Amino acid sequence: MARVVVFIIALFVALPAQAECYADYKAKQDDPLRLAYGVAQVSDGNCDPGSAANELAPRLAQAGWLLLSVMSTFGPEGLSEREASAADHFLRY
Amino acid sequence: MKGKQVPQTTSSATESLRAGNRVVAFGIAAIVLILLAAALFLFVNLPDANAFNAKVTQIFVDNDLRSNAELRLLEILAQSGTSFSEVLQSYRVVIFVLLVFATALLLAALVFLVTIVALNRRISAIQRSGIQVASMLISREGRAVYINDMEFALTEAALETLAVLAEARMDDEVLTGAQIESVISGRNEADCDEAAGATRVKRLRDTLGNQLVSELLVKTIARRGYMLAVGKDVIRMV
Repeated sequence: MARVVVFIIALFVALPAQAECYADYKAKQDDPLRLAYGVAQVSDGNCDPGSAANELAPRLAQAGWLLLSVMSTFGPEGLSEREASAADHFLRY
Repeated sequence: MKGKQVPQTTSSATESLRAGNRVVAFGIAAIVLILLAAALFLFVNLPDANAFNAKVTQIFVDNDLRSNAELRLLEILAQSGTSFSEVLQSYRVVIFVLLVFATALLLAALVFLVTIVALNRRISAIQRSGIQVASMLISREGRAVYINDMEFALTEAALETLAVLAEARMDDEVLTGAQIESVISGRNEADCDEAAGATRVKRLRDTLGNQLVSELLVKTIARRGYMLAVGKDVIRMV
């Protein structure tokens, strides 16, 4: 019984740590100019726009995109409303 | 002292020429510099094709545009701007050509201006110095001399004297009266009298001087009388 309680408690404690963090961003490519709005997962420690930008910029640069700005960070609950807008760039990078 | 005085007499002409050259040099340098600066300013300030892309990117970042259609629209906007960059390139060429033309015209204007100033000075100098002989044609057959296209009839002896003096002038020689007499008469110079040559020169002066003055100064108007060939406004009495 006590084990079950510990397990449940552990589950609740662990849950926030497992909370997934996402950021939506704006990026561009030059020659010709291409603009993109995208959603990407960032590590939990970088769950604010500033550090998310630091994490995302190199990842996008690898794919040839220049990060313009990170608009916001949000949890999984915000994914569905952004999926349509992000389209191709939904969780791509 | 003497060496100092000699250049003084000729300084006015050469000095003004040198000053004119300096003005031309400075003027050309100034024109080229100013127009070069203008060209640089224009070229630097002309927006390049990326200006449109940068503007569109700015719009994209500043506004809450995220749907696919909106983004494609912005891209099209940027592309139409970029196609304008070819027009900008032609603008650059046109501006460059116009600036080159402007430089050439300004340079020409400056040179003409300086030329006009120099010519004005020269003309006023000519006006002061009186009659300036621009051409002198001695016609032995017509027994006449044409000075500045004005015909003066001469006697045989006077024509001979003038011809001798003209030939000596062409060789940069100065003749004494005896030399003149010896050349004309064909006798040895030692046998010739200085006074005989002087008389010949006097006769030449009398005939030619008389006609010159009547042509240039005291005109004879046929059947009416005589009149000074001088402008009214230049005469003053003291």
